[in-house]
Amino acid sequence: MPETASRRVVVTGLGAVSSLGTGARAFADAIRAGRNGVSPIRSFDASGFPHTYAGEVHDFYPGQVLRRLRVEEWGRSSLFAASAARLALIDAEIDPAQVSAARAGSAIGTTLGESAVIEDLVSQWVDQGLKDIDPVLARRAPANRIAAAVNAELALTGEAHTIATACSASNYTLGYAYDLVRTGEADFMISGGADSVNRWEHAGFYRLGALAESVCRPFDTHRSGILTAEGGVALFLEPLEGALARGARIYAEVLGYGVNCDAKHPVAPDPTSIAECIRAAHRNAGVRSEDIDYICAHGTGTPTNDATEVKAVREVFGDRLPPISSIKSMIGHTMGAASGFGALICCMALHDGFLPPTANVTEIDPALGPGVDCVPGTGRTASPRIVQNHGFAFGGNNAITILGRVA
Amino acid sequence: MTTSAPLVITGCGVVSPSGIGLEALTAPRNQAGRAEPPEGEYPPIPLAVIPDLRVEEYLGKKGIRTLDRTTRLALVASNRALATLETALSDDDRARTGVVIGTSTGSIRSSSEFSRETLVREKPYLVQATLFPPSVMNFCASQIAIWNSLRGVNATIADGRVSGLGAVSYARNAIIQGHIDRALVGAVEELCPQSAWAWHLSGALAPDAAVGEGAAVFVMESAEGAAAAGRAPLAEVLACEVGTLGMSDVRQGVATAVGRALERSGVPGAAVTAISLSASVLRGLRAAEQAGVRDALGEPLPAQLRTATLLGESFSATAALQLADVLAAWRTGPAAAGSVALVVVTGDDGNVGCLVLRHPG
Repeated sequence: MPETASRRVVVTGLGAVSSLGTGARAFADAIRAGRNGVSPIRSFDASGFPHTYAGEVHDFYPGQVLRRLRVEEWGRSSLFAASAARLALIDAEIDPAQVSAARAGSAIGTTLGESAVIEDLVSQWVDQGLKDIDPVLARRAPANRIAAAVNAELALTGEAHTIATACSASNYTLGYAYDLVRTGEADFMISGGADSVNRWEHAGFYRLGALAESVCRPFDTHRSGILTAEGGVALFLEPLEGALARGARIYAEVLGYGVNCDAKHPVAPDPTSIAECIRAAHRNAGVRSEDIDYICAHGTGTPTNDATEVKAVREVFGDRLPPISSIKSMIGHTMGAASGFGALICCMALHDGFLPPTANVTEIDPALGPGVDCVPGTGRTASPRIVQNHGFAFGGNNAITILGRVA
Repeated sequence: MTTSAPLVITGCGVVSPSGIGLEALTAPRNQAGRAEPPEGEYPPIPLAVIPDLRVEEYLGKKGIRTLDRTTRLALVASNRALATLETALSDDDRARTGVVIGTSTGSIRSSSEFSRETLVREKPYLVQATLFPPSVMNFCASQIAIWNSLRGVNATIADGRVSGLGAVSYARNAIIQGHIDRALVGAVEELCPQSAWAWHLSGALAPDAAVGEGAAVFVMESAEGAAAAGRAPLAEVLACEVGTLGMSDVRQGVATAVGRALERSGVPGAAVTAISLSASVLRGLRAAEQAGVRDALGEPLPAQLRTATLLGESFSATAALQLADVLAAWRTGPAAAGSVALVVVTGDDGNVGCLVLRHPG
């Protein structure tokens, strides 16, 4: 019975379309070097905003990556997702026909779906009225197109879920994909996330007082908030046994995950609930807190996030905190893709042997208490064996994944 | 807890153009006194509006002002689903209860109106901060958790027309894998000018078809959990098959999904006594869906529930309302719809799904 089976699940392919480059290798090398992917906004007219920086993907040419999708028929978020998925499949060095003939599908996270398409429609609404919106464009607006784009690009016939659980969505997708492969419900799964920079999100975060001017500094005394960002990320999952049999490069093993909900406040996170989510993830993965060598933080760059996240980690780890860093310092907050980029860099860290840095840190905020090692500056050579990847969201939707090196 | 026994549905709340509750779905249609649609200018097509939606009667007056229509509909359905349980959930139960809600794009009204503000205000940032969270797609599911202290997994599944079955698939895994003991699972779609115009201009609707709205939410749990709590099932969920099987051929994809779902259920096609099809008001999908089901089941087809014909096209809420319609038919006794029912749903993105339900009696 599929329900009682349990297979070990590994990540053997990684794909990224990011402000720091296309392809997982380019992305990971830039992160490790502490490079900055943030730049003045080009995707919409930001001239009326006091803050005008975001982590945009300027050099995105989906036609160079995609093999099946017709670029002009899809929205930006769908193209991010499908491109990342195609890159992950290529990276896995597996026969695409083998994957499409198998029970294979995708789960892709998002916060705002096809937000760039919606904004184009809204512009038409403002200019001409709803009766003159372009129906061809309207067809591209529903968020289900994002995962559908992945299945269409890779000719997959399995489940295609767009999981819209905001900024923890990609960890939701990784957990779900892991369960499907582990239980034998699926032979292969793509998990990941995609979102596009847009005006309404920029305005919303600005009004919440959460937007940084031009630099994102998680854990730093002088942090001032998040920078909105975009991109697509994908992880290719398969059973360990199959990966070994075909001699695949194994980045990491998915050990387990935890998901829960604060059920308290739409935008204020709860440290006790996050601590419970961490414990649930450890239980599910069969690890103890002292086994965790590194935490890839949610680390948005707001004072509230830092205080809440470090407090939650202390509730579980006591005062012996593992190194905890935030890649959002470099790429900004890619929303529904954020914890997917976190998972990708965790895989790279386990495989290559390093800890990703927190860039832009000059003084670690003493209010966070002693022992906060946020790997300031550039990446550090290390040999992490088991790592923990955080994703939190509006609505108190927490999701934490645990990844390990295959011994 | 790992189990291979079927999951069961023990509670149900539904808000539809027929009214509130399962009983409204089986009541004779009252054509008099058509409900007014939500504010806005609509295209010249029929609208299927939820009548008599006095939200405060179900939710109280406190805290509802900032909730958009999507959230209100799903919250009323969720609270009704919890209220219909034979035994109420304890606080410990609520820590182990998840929420899995299917949606199209969250509330497209909320996000597009918030986006509009950035264009029509004197400065683009002069938007109301309180209207930002409802523009994010998981707002509805998280509000259901907040209102009911449900602290398990909280997932928003945006699978378009198959969202209701996508949510069942997600919740089923979460329960079987032991992440939660039970879930509120369902889907929602609100009627608004933005989506009504998109449907009208798309040309996808059959002549005289209405654009509708609704929410249906179910309490789903393991059979053992339900029995231990003293809750009698309304239905057993034998299988839920979803996938992009219809990308190149919708008819073949539907036939495959139905065939696989039946195989998993261990019930022969001849045992199916009722079906609900999703696309009866959609020009492009209606014939292919019908033909796919015929290919899988053969002739003659069992009794068909007319969910979409009666309620209009309700996109993401479609499959959840179909499921509610099966439960409504069963309320009048298994004689009305036999003992095994299929919910078949087809999306315009190649996604197809089939849910197999068995009457517990």
